[in-house]
Amino acid sequence: MIMAILGSFSSKAQIQKVDQEVYGMDCAPCAYGLERGLKKMDGLKNVRVSLNDGKAYLELSENNSLSLKLIQDEVKRNGFSAKKAEVVIEGKLINKNGSFELETGTETYSIVAGTSDDLNSKLKPGTITLKGVVQDEGDGSLSGTWQIKLTGIL
Amino acid sequence: MAISNVIFRFILISMFGVSTIFTINAQGHGPLYGLQTPTLAKGGVDLNVAGMSLSTEDETSYMLRYLFSYGITENLQINLTTPTMIERLDNAPRTRGNSNMPANGDIEASLWYRFHSNAFGVGKRFESTAILSVSAPTEDVRGQVNVGNSVHGAVSTGYASRTWYGWIGGGYQYYFERNGEQLGDLPYASVVVGYRPDIFMGDYPKPDWRIFMETLAEFPGDNQYPGQQDLTGSRSKKVLMGPSFLGLYGAWGVSFGALFPVVQDLTPSAVKENYRVSINLSYWL
Repeated sequence: MIMAILGSFSSKAQIQKVDQEVYGMDCAPCAYGLERGLKKMDGLKNVRVSLNDGKAYLELSENNSLSLKLIQDEVKRNGFSAKKAEVVIEGKLINKNGSFELETGTETYSIVAGTSDDLNSKLKPGTITLKGVVQDEGDGSLSGTWQIKLTGIL
Repeated sequence: MAISNVIFRFILISMFGVSTIFTINAQGHGPLYGLQTPTLAKGGVDLNVAGMSLSTEDETSYMLRYLFSYGITENLQINLTTPTMIERLDNAPRTRGNSNMPANGDIEASLWYRFHSNAFGVGKRFESTAILSVSAPTEDVRGQVNVGNSVHGAVSTGYASRTWYGWIGGGYQYYFERNGEQLGDLPYASVVVGYRPDIFMGDYPKPDWRIFMETLAEFPGDNQYPGQQDLTGSRSKKVLMGPSFLGLYGAWGVSFGALFPVVQDLTPSAVKENYRVSINLSYWL
């Protein structure tokens, strides 16, 4: 029964969409390499890399097990720097001493100050899909714990 | 063939063999002649075929050269380059060829280490790379001098963006003595400025073209023979300039360009150059 509950949680909790900002990518083979590296990851439905925007746009498939850390690690492997990311994530919202955290099973997203009062007032513990901007953690210190500024509740 | 040469070539081939075990990926590209900084992605593979020609006042060389590069990490790249000499020069000037290739009949293995990289904006980065190479000749005699193995080291630093590029670097190649004779050494420096016009600012996967103005300064030492008086202080001074063009489309890259001498202050035994031309085709696996 415990396994069934955990299984149900992990299949629901996941990243659905990532617009990952990438610094340092200046040429077509750079974009080609990043696109190819990302496409090799299981769980991606669609990948598009834009040199002019400096972004990788990712749509993730249902029941994927990808994490933002895996995506940013791939950016780093290509020699670039992963910065902020606009994400849509489904997860379990937990109230910890008055602060909310979204857990996906593999990663934790702490909701930071700056989120509007209107959005904050709508947050309730339980399964939820959130839209927000994940702050840059620096390429050398990716731990799977993130700070997110909410921009919407879906 | 001397045992040391056999061992040297074995090391080169072993480095090539080990590097082909790994998986593949892709990344960056820079100028044709000048030193550059980009390194491949971790696991990335780049294959190059180049056609090179160097014309002196007496003769012209033609060479095909193949380059295999592999990204051990995103900051450490191993390269192996081998030549097919079509026409050798009897009296070859001491020079490097394309930025990561010898201009003569050497087989060369090199390590590129990007020891500094700062990606500070969309499409922008500032980075520095150190290069260490070893090479073994494919001929016994070059310009009436016994050819030995050589070592080469260089450092370059540069800026890349979506519009402007610039690299500056310097290097040194040293040939070991062989049977009492020794090819002259080669200190050199390069400066490259690159630009991409607005018309080629289309987003990936559209074709991507850029133009470079390359400058190369070389200070080759004279060859050393038995019984010759010490001419260590005697060096030629050459400055060459010219344009090169780089086109990129998906996994393919083509670059071509030429260098022309603007300064040739040569020692009596050095040969005068007319031009260098080169074309390079790249494929990122």
